[in-house]
Amino acid sequence: MSLAIAGMGWITPLGGGVDAVWERLLQGDEAHAEKITEKFDDQAYTVFRVPDSALASLAPHPRLRRASLISRFAAAAGLAALEEAGVKLDPRNAERVALVFAISNGGVIYTKRFYRDIVESGAQSASPLFFPETVFNAPASHLAAILGITGATYTLVGDGAVGLLAMRMAEDLMANDALDYCLVVGAEEVDWLLCDAYHKWRLLRLEPPVEPFNEVARGMILSEGAGAVLLAREGLIKIESTHAGGNYRKRDEAEDVLKRILCDLIEAESGFVIASANGTFIDEAECRAISQVIPGAIVYTAKPALGESVGAGGLWQVIVGGQALRQGERISASRAAAATARGAIILSCGLNQQIAGLCLGVDR
Amino acid sequence: MSESTDASGKNGTARVAVVAAGVISPLGFGLGETLDSLRAARDCVTAVTRFSVAQCRCKTAGQVPDERLLAERRKCARPQRFHRAAHMMIRALAEALRQDAKFKPELTVIGTTSGGMSYGEDYFRSLHQHGDLRRSPTWIANYPAQKPVVDALDTFGIRAPCQVIANACASGTNAIGHAFECVRSGRYERVLSGGYDALSELVFVGFDSLQASTPEKCRPFDRDRTGMVLGEGAAILALENLDTARARGAPVLAEITGYGISTDNFHFTQPNPSGSGPRQAMEHALQSAHLSAHTVDYINAHGTATPFNDAAEGKAIGELFGRGVPVGSTKSMMGHSLGAAGAVEAIVCLLALQHQFLPPNINFHAPDEDADLNIVANKSRPASLRTVLSNSFGFGGTNASLVMQKFEA
Repeated sequence: MSLAIAGMGWITPLGGGVDAVWERLLQGDEAHAEKITEKFDDQAYTVFRVPDSALASLAPHPRLRRASLISRFAAAAGLAALEEAGVKLDPRNAERVALVFAISNGGVIYTKRFYRDIVESGAQSASPLFFPETVFNAPASHLAAILGITGATYTLVGDGAVGLLAMRMAEDLMANDALDYCLVVGAEEVDWLLCDAYHKWRLLRLEPPVEPFNEVARGMILSEGAGAVLLAREGLIKIESTHAGGNYRKRDEAEDVLKRILCDLIEAESGFVIASANGTFIDEAECRAISQVIPGAIVYTAKPALGESVGAGGLWQVIVGGQALRQGERISASRAAAATARGAIILSCGLNQQIAGLCLGVDR
Repeated sequence: MSESTDASGKNGTARVAVVAAGVISPLGFGLGETLDSLRAARDCVTAVTRFSVAQCRCKTAGQVPDERLLAERRKCARPQRFHRAAHMMIRALAEALRQDAKFKPELTVIGTTSGGMSYGEDYFRSLHQHGDLRRSPTWIANYPAQKPVVDALDTFGIRAPCQVIANACASGTNAIGHAFECVRSGRYERVLSGGYDALSELVFVGFDSLQASTPEKCRPFDRDRTGMVLGEGAAILALENLDTARARGAPVLAEITGYGISTDNFHFTQPNPSGSGPRQAMEHALQSAHLSAHTVDYINAHGTATPFNDAAEGKAIGELFGRGVPVGSTKSMMGHSLGAAGAVEAIVCLLALQHQFLPPNINFHAPDEDADLNIVANKSRPASLRTVLSNSFGFGGTNASLVMQKFEA
């Protein structure tokens, strides 16, 4: 089965648009750090937020009127991916397009607000307007309604590996000839509550920089946004293979699972690895696995620049890999390697036991 | 390999067997107790005990008793850390593996809506009220939706990767349906599927705030129905390519032969009154199974007992199947377990096929004039069943239908 990327959409703390964000990454830009606070706690955290300008071109839609930020990010990225591919959905082809949505924390802003009302004032004060937006599949439903998709729509929930698990699911779905396209979207929104949770879990640092593959894992910075990839039968960037992934029981088992996945994915022409290293314990696991399975591999992670967007993170990695192959230009010092590379491995190690990977290729 | 050609354009080649199953729900712990409750038309909805419902309209739910779940808990490693959803998953998976210890899945596909939500509530409440946060790392680590699945797999040494589908109330059926398609396509030989959800305050209050839940009895398809009651549970179905299952001598409990999915963009929380979304899902499932509507012997309806949902589903069933086919909603007995519902109801269908009976739709007193259906009212009854259909519909307009058939070699 041939599977390729027909279009991509990207909403990030460095702005919106694949080419625009890519240029900023090439320039070595990092997202602007912002403080985030909560009225019932004194602790402040630092996050990378999506600038308003990134959503400026998102047209109003009734479904987005009360929707949370995560749904807006997803809508903007999904629409951009279809536009880049030149695909227009109408009632005749709406059933031939599937939507797979990757999410980790979901609509946390409305979820917190809904439950805070219950805690502060009792169940009678809970707003029926907020509850629907707390459901994991709310962003996918809004996006399906905006696009007019009437066939298969799935929301996958998981940790930072969920984006690549969604890509695998999309490949499984595309085994069905009744589908022409599968739109894979990952999205996340940040909130103080998430920062506090990751901080209590000792995975967050209070200030940038994010220092991936550092000897001491000092933690990550949370971010938000969305990534969308439209899969089709043909396209310049091929999905050479996806991996169903694996689970690790304890942190020190992550390296072995990563190695197994890398061994399954590796091809002679894999030019570089887009890793998920974010300044936490996963960096060491990735570093050791990559150095043992692909010694000397060129490795890149975008998380110092874009932060850890969890549910969106895997799709961002795919976009970085796809764009690097498309442009023949990898970020960082070894651009020459990307110019001749015919493949890239994307590797995602989540913080909560899930790992996945895939391999991209390009015909030069 | 057994061949089949799919009229809907799907590239299915393999027949898909259910080789093992496990369940825990308000109806009971395991297939045997569940069968007994179904046959006895037992009302397993009780007063909510897990959190205060003093300010809610609805005061009841189908609940899995903690006393028994806690007894099971002692057998696990790190039992005090696991969310009770994990213990339900462990219990269901243990039952399935007792039937087929050699089942080694390549993939796990599980549905849920809220993961370990009550741990998120514990964390937020302690944080907000400046309470004791010493357990917060446990709450945070065990809150994510994939955690109960990974915990259950790990308990039995299963390393298969997991895809956790959160398609609201259709999640369980979507999970089994996707697993079915994975095996049917030939991409996988064995996939573990199912669903889980544990009762939580946030979700309970949420449905209450929407006035979707009822202070009365849950009366699906009844003229005087007033809404749903929530439930909880977990169910596992082990799916395998029929040929490989038979080659290794695995038991074949039933076959899954069709799956349909549709997305209804009418409204986020309400179905299109025309019933077009449910109808599309059922039509796709029948096409996928190469069956016509008249071959279906029983429909386990989504049947939440909310006025709008039952009206839309009833209209779709009436238009597609006519009045002949027996229809029932077993949510009347155990409540709506959300992400688990489709999986638990697939188990109900499995038991119906194995034991040749129609599960009852209890609390049914007066037919709805707008939905002329053949409801399996209040009592189970013997029946000759070859083909059954199970429906699940959820927020976001997600609709899913599954066709299961009695295995005939």
